[in-house]
Amino acid sequence: MGGTLLLDIIIGGLILGGLYALIAVGLGLQYGVARVLNVSHGEFIMLGAFATYSLYTSFGINPLVSLVISGPIVFGLGFLIHRTLFQHLRKSSESMAAFEGTSILASFGLLFIIQNIALLSWGSDIKGYTYLAGTVDFGGAIYAQNRLLAFLFAIIIGLAFYFFLARTRFGKAIRAAAQDVDTAQLMGVNIHRMLGLCFGLGALMAALAGCLISMMFEITPLMGLPYSIIAIIAVVLGGLGNILGSLLGGLILGLVGNIVMYIHPGLSLIAYYMIFLLLILVRPTGILGK
Amino acid sequence: MLKVSNIKASYGKVDVLWDVSMIIGEGEIVALVGANASGKTTMLKTISGLIHPGAGTLEFLGKRIDEISPYRIATMGISHIPEGGKPFPDMTVLENLEMGAYINEAWKRKEETLHRVYQFFPILKKRSGQLARTLSGGERQMLAMGRGLMAKPRLFMFDEPSYGLAPIIVKELFESIRLLHDQGMTILIVEQNIRHALEVSSRGYVLENGRIVLEGESRGLLDNDHVRKAYLGL
Repeated sequence: MGGTLLLDIIIGGLILGGLYALIAVGLGLQYGVARVLNVSHGEFIMLGAFATYSLYTSFGINPLVSLVISGPIVFGLGFLIHRTLFQHLRKSSESMAAFEGTSILASFGLLFIIQNIALLSWGSDIKGYTYLAGTVDFGGAIYAQNRLLAFLFAIIIGLAFYFFLARTRFGKAIRAAAQDVDTAQLMGVNIHRMLGLCFGLGALMAALAGCLISMMFEITPLMGLPYSIIAIIAVVLGGLGNILGSLLGGLILGLVGNIVMYIHPGLSLIAYYMIFLLLILVRPTGILGK
Repeated sequence: MLKVSNIKASYGKVDVLWDVSMIIGEGEIVALVGANASGKTTMLKTISGLIHPGAGTLEFLGKRIDEISPYRIATMGISHIPEGGKPFPDMTVLENLEMGAYINEAWKRKEETLHRVYQFFPILKKRSGQLARTLSGGERQMLAMGRGLMAKPRLFMFDEPSYGLAPIIVKELFESIRLLHDQGMTILIVEQNIRHALEVSSRGYVLENGRIVLEGESRGLLDNDHVRKAYLGL
């Protein structure tokens, strides 16, 4: 029985961790590369979740298929927001530190705007739908199919993204810009376009995560903020500017969160904050930071 | 090839350059020398577009470049090697070299250029799989030069290649720069190490507090009283 419980906690933790990793990688692109500590990251998760919900309940579109519709829209929205808002803030800021400050404030503004538009369109009721709710038996531990699907999806996206960063020309340019923006520009990288694409890609990751979340949990227009906080902690945990680190940070938080949830469900957010505090005190550069 | 006319530039609210004019002809090797904080690095950053000038014009190959973005200037054929080389620390030597060939024209021929760069700096081939952060100071500078060559530039600009390096390595690096020049490369070299820079170059400009105070044949500058007193300690 003890063995099954352990397996249960670990697999549950990996499922949650996969989801968090996806969310963290998205923010990692926005914060680590574009230097926007996007507090409204969770709102893009919420948008992804509601897009999936609406398309499924109103038109019967399969949640995974709905990504084909919502993905490009959210990506474009993210790109546009960077182009119109953050790029100008960046240009008019005297220093990178000043930009980081103003961009946090601007993203708080975004948070309220997106949240209120969502409240007006969908109302404040908790919503949900059932999709692939059947169960699978794993050596005594029982899982909902949609959770395993979400985990599988998170792994596939994670691997694809890793491959993209490690092998492709544009992926390498993203890593270069995360390490040294000026030198990347000297190599011929069109930095504003690239940061816009990174921001859009980050929003896309959030929408993906939101789609998966909507299959497993209930959703509301106010669901975003806790996810933003989890993403921020995961990114700092992994090391700012290190996108692999964000992935790892997300996985670790998911595992820890799931273990703590077995002790008491209300403790997980407290556990995340404890990790965050400890991290800032002991190793502010993160696990994979220098 | 490059014409710098009456450039004024500032960093935030601090003016750094006043009325700087320079000319670099095709195939020339020119030195811009001066003490620490005299504005040399700002001059290079202004040419490569990282800083936009407050006044004055920049012309490269007959085209104005003072209002365009750094990536477009890089695409036109200017390769700027920043101070300390600034390789991307968490990328391998090979990945750094690939980043050097980021612009379309260079990317198409990167295998062939890589072969040539490895011939020029065999140590880079030996270290190709290592992260750049593990390299010594001299190797970093070589990697930065190799990365610059990957872009197949028309004009090569060096910012303090000697900075923080042992004299014997500085000598090797300057030998490499001379070799590049012999192969027909146009070079602008910015240095605090005035003797080395003037020995390798054919013409030089002396920058003091953001203004050009002297210019001429490098040999002549080495014999100039002011240069000898202020910079060479003679």
